[in-house]
Amino acid sequence: MTKAKRWVFAALAMTFLLSFLLSACSQQGSGSTSGSGSSGGGTSGGDSADSGGSSGEASSGAVGTGGSAVGFIFVGARDDYGYNQAAYIGSQAVEEAFPDLKVLRVENVPETAEAERVMEQMINDGANIIFPTSYGHLDPALNVAARHPDVAFFHQGGLKTAENLGTYFGTIWEPVYLAGVAAGKMTKTNKLGYIVSVPIPQVLLNVNAFQRGAQSVNPDVTTTVVFTGSWCDPGQQANAANSLIDGGVDVLTQHQDCTKTVIETAERRGAMSVGYHADASSLAPEGWIVGSVWNWPDLFVNMTKTALEGRFDGSMYDGKYRGTLADGTVMLTDFGKNVPDDVKALVGEMKQAIIDGALHPFAGPVKKQDGEVVFAEGVIPTIDELESMDWFVEGVIGTIPK
Amino acid sequence: MIADILTGAVRSGTSVLFAVQGELVSERAGVINLGTEGAMLAGALAGFATTVWTGSPWLGALAGGTGGMLIALLHAFLVISRGANQLATGLTLMFLGMGLTAFFGRKFVSESIVGFNPTPIPLLSDIPFIGNVLFNHDPLTYVSFALVPLIWFALFRTRLGVIIRASGEREDALFASGMNPKLVRYGAVLAGGFLAGLGGAQLSIAYTHSWVENMTAGRGIVAVALVIFAAWKPLRAAVGAWLFGAAQALQLTVQQQGYPISPYFLFMAPYLITLIALLAVEFRKKSRMPEALGKVFTGSPGGAG
Amino acid sequence: MMRSNATAMTNAAAAAEPARAAGSAEKAETAAGAGATGLASKSAEAGMTGAAPSPARRGLPPRAKSALMQAGLFAAPFAAFGVFLLFYGVNPIDLYVSMFTSAFGNRYGFGEVLIKATPILLTGLAAALPARAGMINVGGEGQLAIGALLSTAAAVTMLQAAPAWFGIPAMLLAGALGGAIWAGITALLRVKGNMNETITSLLLNYVAFYTVGLFVHGPLKDPASFNWPFSPPISDALRLPVLNGSRLHAGIAIAVVLAAAVWWVLSRTRLGFRIRVLGANAFAAERAGFRVSRMQLLTLVAAGALAGIAGMIEIAGIEGRLRPTTGANYGYLGFLAAWMAWNHPLRLVATSFLLGMIAVAGNSLEMNSGLPSSSVHILMALVLIFLLAGGRIGRGRRA
Repeated sequence: MTKAKRWVFAALAMTFLLSFLLSACSQQGSGSTSGSGSSGGGTSGGDSADSGGSSGEASSGAVGTGGSAVGFIFVGARDDYGYNQAAYIGSQAVEEAFPDLKVLRVENVPETAEAERVMEQMINDGANIIFPTSYGHLDPALNVAARHPDVAFFHQGGLKTAENLGTYFGTIWEPVYLAGVAAGKMTKTNKLGYIVSVPIPQVLLNVNAFQRGAQSVNPDVTTTVVFTGSWCDPGQQANAANSLIDGGVDVLTQHQDCTKTVIETAERRGAMSVGYHADASSLAPEGWIVGSVWNWPDLFVNMTKTALEGRFDGSMYDGKYRGTLADGTVMLTDFGKNVPDDVKALVGEMKQAIIDGALHPFAGPVKKQDGEVVFAEGVIPTIDELESMDWFVEGVIGTIPK
Repeated sequence: MIADILTGAVRSGTSVLFAVQGELVSERAGVINLGTEGAMLAGALAGFATTVWTGSPWLGALAGGTGGMLIALLHAFLVISRGANQLATGLTLMFLGMGLTAFFGRKFVSESIVGFNPTPIPLLSDIPFIGNVLFNHDPLTYVSFALVPLIWFALFRTRLGVIIRASGEREDALFASGMNPKLVRYGAVLAGGFLAGLGGAQLSIAYTHSWVENMTAGRGIVAVALVIFAAWKPLRAAVGAWLFGAAQALQLTVQQQGYPISPYFLFMAPYLITLIALLAVEFRKKSRMPEALGKVFTGSPGGAG
Repeated sequence: MMRSNATAMTNAAAAAEPARAAGSAEKAETAAGAGATGLASKSAEAGMTGAAPSPARRGLPPRAKSALMQAGLFAAPFAAFGVFLLFYGVNPIDLYVSMFTSAFGNRYGFGEVLIKATPILLTGLAAALPARAGMINVGGEGQLAIGALLSTAAAVTMLQAAPAWFGIPAMLLAGALGGAIWAGITALLRVKGNMNETITSLLLNYVAFYTVGLFVHGPLKDPASFNWPFSPPISDALRLPVLNGSRLHAGIAIAVVLAAAVWWVLSRTRLGFRIRVLGANAFAAERAGFRVSRMQLLTLVAAGALAGIAGMIEIAGIEGRLRPTTGANYGYLGFLAAWMAWNHPLRLVATSFLLGMIAVAGNSLEMNSGLPSSSVHILMALVLIFLLAGGRIGRGRRA
């Protein structure tokens, strides 16, 4: 046994020695371009990550030009009636608008360094414009962007940018707020339900906007939040929907990648539903109130055009671009058939007010669940403050892990 | 609140219940099938697709059972006829099931079906408290209620049951009486696969009315664990399945009440509870594991092959 | 009956020692297994009479036949998958060729395959080692995750300012410790609670996944990342050195060294011999006085450590920070690779490379044909099914 133990320890020692030697004798510097990528982002817009030494190589054309293909990576499957489907529809618009450009697509790309490999492969196949469409693809995209300064990246939802990487998103909380108004008006039990996956800022922002909208027309209303831990698990979604309805909720909405199950379950049980990502009103003819959706096709086509024409640098997409309700990047769907006219009119008015800038969903005073004031009276929070939210407004029932 | 948890327990435990009863039969015959997860997925997809094509959820349920049975057939072939290691084969079939259903299921993700809906049983569902818990579910759930005593009766009060149990306990005796233990095992494994497929179909046709890849999310694995927890007894197995469903429902109720517990603890809960239940079983007096199954776990040569 | 088993066992063991030196350790192991069940077989007799069968006795043709059969079993799934692809209008030859050329054609592609193969190799070892001892560990997934968790925790707390020569080995240790602890739970449940390790390790995978989620949403969340759930990045000094022009990092070297170490222990040490005997026949091992529980604990914990190191390598080599989905699926791929390699550590290097190639090919399959990249899981499962059907695996977990 002793002899064996000696060998085992020898092997372990060898391993440590090897790692020591490798780390001591290698060039750490070369590691950082491909390894560390973007560390420590800033807090306000237009922040550039450190793409440092690699941009020494002079690129022949402007960023984004000269490619034969456009690449799209999706975090999930396209037919999910939701997030990825919206992005997919955008990619189809690009395909139609630029028939000479080959469109490369890969679905189910995880939000890990795996994504880097997929993007590299697309660049290898001739793509000079890449659309990473999920938040978690940001770091991998920044790494790849650092290695390919002549490729234009349009990342969905990111909060850090680079020389050749711009992020885009929409102020989806605006239509979500309006949907909340409609829900607040139509609920009979004053209990709204929100089924979400994980407590990331985009999710919390939506929940808060929904509650604020509902509360603005119905002070007694509450929004109960349930986390499922997954972006698309129909079993969990059905569990959550049924459980919420058992608990008295009569309007259900969600922030999930696939939206079909929740809406259909609500419809079956006679609850009303508010949609997200996609217009699912056909699934809930009786109970559909309204939904908030993305309008990516126009935006994607514009971004691609800008890149192809060599105008990426300095354009509005070279940075943090946020489309709004006003410019049509985010939209409210049509109302369901059972929505009364006065509700429609009210929502219409408030929508115009938002577009005109007269109404802001988060204009102070805004209080957290525990009553603490987070935005004082008269204060209008910046987009960065909104997109990094980590609390619930009062009237929301739910716990964020800390 | 308790009523809600119990109702949720039955609702989300039914698919597991089917798989558990099926795996019980299979293990009684001495074959453990970790591919149950794959069988459930195959059943979920086959059932959903058939319902889309034919419009009949009952046909879908039948197709779901058949889908699960096909996966189980492969398992039976490899394990019984080729003598392959049962655990490795089961896991391989789990991956096969995941891969095949992800591939073929793509175009069904956005489809809608007219599936099974909760149908309250008249009179019985009006009973306060338990009326909602037991009698306000979809037809397949009612089938699962009937399944439990049926399996018990079949295993312990019929000749067929004796034969099945003999193939797991005393295969030489079975052989001596002129029957082929291998054939009996094939039957048991196929029956197990059918029921697992039915469980998957319940999930897609009755509970969620959807298909998404990997939608069973580990229920098949939990089912295999629960069979051991239940000491291979049908009624206990049913309780185990509902216990798992209750853990899932509890997690939701806790969130809705606003208790400040991190959702991640709650997500872990069903699996932890299953583990603890397994542990509790082991510390009781040694439960009677079918002998042929025992060989699988201690790794001695022999077993189903 | 039992005593003669034990005698046969000891005789076989005695025969095995010199036989090992002659290089037919595999034969001795089978002899030990076969002899103890009392089945009459040529090898058992050879074992009992104490004479090691010489290689010349076996002759060449059976060997060549078995090699041919192995090759056939190996090629069949690719053929079957090829037919499957044809149905969908994809030319399988194109795919296999591009799989090959992208892996070997350029430095970047080769590097990518190696990057993918590294965690597969390590989690494969985590499955293979206990398998040789007669246990099935499918918990590589969870053990990798907890290893990644602990090494990240160490990296962003204690090792923030550490220099590379200290920090990297320390992170390695932390990763190994994390995986070892997680596997330790499975091991304890097996040894003390007699609970089957396959089921417990599977269930623990789910628990591990949510544990990582718990930490990246809470104590380990990066304060500078706008509340998105991942850890702060580890310092540059802690990143594994990288080959210029690719993302290939030193992790592959660590993994190969460990594979060689495991092989060495298994085939050249007494401990390894006892482990293999335990795997061939636990009952006889017990009768022969081996401390079975202790060995089972040891192998499972060591396996966990290996998977935990894979987790650390994923963080320090590729990701740079801990995310909720770090390391997903590697555990299961490693298990597949191990069984494809008949649990032999050196063969595992080859099979993990193969699986890495197939996994990398999945993406080009999707980009060029529109078929989802998960199709390659079907190929992997087919490979294993043909192997299992071939009957080689299962009758004793030997090399």
